[in-house]
Amino acid sequence: MSDKVQKSLIVGLRARYSNLFSRDWVIPTFIVVWVIIVIVPLLIMVAHSFFEMKQYRVVYDASFKTWDSLIDSGRWISAVRTLRIVLVMTAIEFLVAFPFALWLAKVCKSKVTKAVIITLLTIPFFVDPSSRTIIWRAILGRNGIINFVLMETGVNNEPIEWLLFSEFAVHFGILAPYFPTMVFPIFLVITLIDDEYLEASRDLGASKLQTLFRIILPLSLPGIVAGGVFTMVPLMATWVEPEMLGGGFVNLLGPSVDAAMRELKYPTAAALSVFVIALLVIFLAVLILATRRLGSIGDIFHTMKR
Amino acid sequence: MTELAPGSSITTHGKIGHGGALSWRRIAAWTVWPSTAKWLGLIVIILMYIPLVWLAVMSFSDRPLSGIPYPLTTEHYRELLGEFNKWGEPLYESVILGLIVAVVCMIVATAVGRAIPRLRKPGGVLLVALIPLFVPGLTMGAALFIFIRSFLELRLGLWSIFIGHLVWALPFSLLLVLIIAVRFDHRLLEAAEDLGAKKWRRFWNIEFPILRPGIIGAGIFGFLLSFNELLRSIFLRGSETTMPIYNWTMTASHQSQVPIIFSLSTIILAVTLPVLGGFFWLLFAKLDRS
Repeated sequence: MSDKVQKSLIVGLRARYSNLFSRDWVIPTFIVVWVIIVIVPLLIMVAHSFFEMKQYRVVYDASFKTWDSLIDSGRWISAVRTLRIVLVMTAIEFLVAFPFALWLAKVCKSKVTKAVIITLLTIPFFVDPSSRTIIWRAILGRNGIINFVLMETGVNNEPIEWLLFSEFAVHFGILAPYFPTMVFPIFLVITLIDDEYLEASRDLGASKLQTLFRIILPLSLPGIVAGGVFTMVPLMATWVEPEMLGGGFVNLLGPSVDAAMRELKYPTAAALSVFVIALLVIFLAVLILATRRLGSIGDIFHTMKR
Repeated sequence: MTELAPGSSITTHGKIGHGGALSWRRIAAWTVWPSTAKWLGLIVIILMYIPLVWLAVMSFSDRPLSGIPYPLTTEHYRELLGEFNKWGEPLYESVILGLIVAVVCMIVATAVGRAIPRLRKPGGVLLVALIPLFVPGLTMGAALFIFIRSFLELRLGLWSIFIGHLVWALPFSLLLVLIIAVRFDHRLLEAAEDLGAKKWRRFWNIEFPILRPGIIGAGIFGFLLSFNELLRSIFLRGSETTMPIYNWTMTASHQSQVPIIFSLSTIILAVTLPVLGGFFWLLFAKLDRS
């Protein structure tokens, strides 16, 4: 064997050997594992919603019986209620978050203030959900601080009952925890809008309102869509807030899934979950279609890359 | 500067229009818009922190579910110590689980995060990786439960909670590493290769120090997201009890246990808030310099 052949053989072997340890296998392995622990369970859940439970065993016999029983048992009422609360709360979060994000990104000039606000918005992600929700009972409740102050100061003679264990309490409890997911995407997108666009718009004689609706709003669409999705997704199956602040009066899809699981009605839980995901997909599709009219999302990514 | 700058003089325009246009312009010209926007947002942020502050105050109260904190007492903390055998185990399990999730998140997020920007079409991989962000926690928990318990008929335990937590925490960790990895200049590695640095040395001496804030962030997020995870754990627990599950069962069903949960949560907050604050402070200081 000549030296040349030997050398090329070594080079070839080394290339193959180093391939084993290079990142070529990282992504495929990751994708395979991720499909097994994320996508396969979701697909199996969809399949389960067409099965039935008999004597605490799942009967693998496809039918619409579980779906029929969902409609008959009146669980659709909680679905409608969930939908209403999700839509109302997403709208409220957006109405507060969009102006706030605009202020944070373009008006607020202090870097320290920005950093502090971003930190403040992130921390609640890491707080135990039950304790930060149950404490509202000590604030909104019959003997809570609000009723105490109102009665001590003589504004009210009777405690306000609707503050806790009501739909108001559930809405109120949801407001703050779901705010950051709406602010962050919108804030990031508005930060990326070049100040020169806004100056140009003003120089060309556009009013503030025109600049808002023709420049800022279309350019921040991807952020608005992302914020809407990230707020709606956890809201659709929210569980802690209705359980702790609704006091059994506000039955939503989340607690229904939990109840079905505890009654070992897996197909029912599966069907409810599939329903949640289907609604989210519809929302997403509508959101994307509705916003397409204002400007193509692809265009905006193009501008961002600049 | 921007159209929302306070005090800018658009009021003169208001007089030009007529009818509807006039009122719209008046509304747009309303100079308190920026401060309204700011204060509405800040009020919601304050609403986020009222429960945390009140939690800490009421943990020292003699009647924690009443309107007034007085009279003060440290009785609940003493009681908390006495019941260590009840909450010690869940706390220990949550810490161990959080640490494992953190380490796995750091390793996987680094490996995948540095590989994704090198792909020709990273969009698909990224979308698959981020799917769990589009599925509500309770739904993902139910799906994993049906898959593991009902379909595969395996025994649930800490390992199944771990999978649920990993699915939840990894997308965030990955995004944190990616934020930095996409800006990484690969010519640095080529230069190091030309200078004769071996593969491991190239990673350890060049890539790792640059990715470090993202990797540390991936670990902290992994730990804390796992440590406070409830919606997935509740289905995947089997007979295990983590800290959030313990808090949930105690607060939801045992009114008498609530004061102890208040003091326990206060202690945990007192530990985690400075860690997070410090992390963000370092992160912003670092971003500011680069």
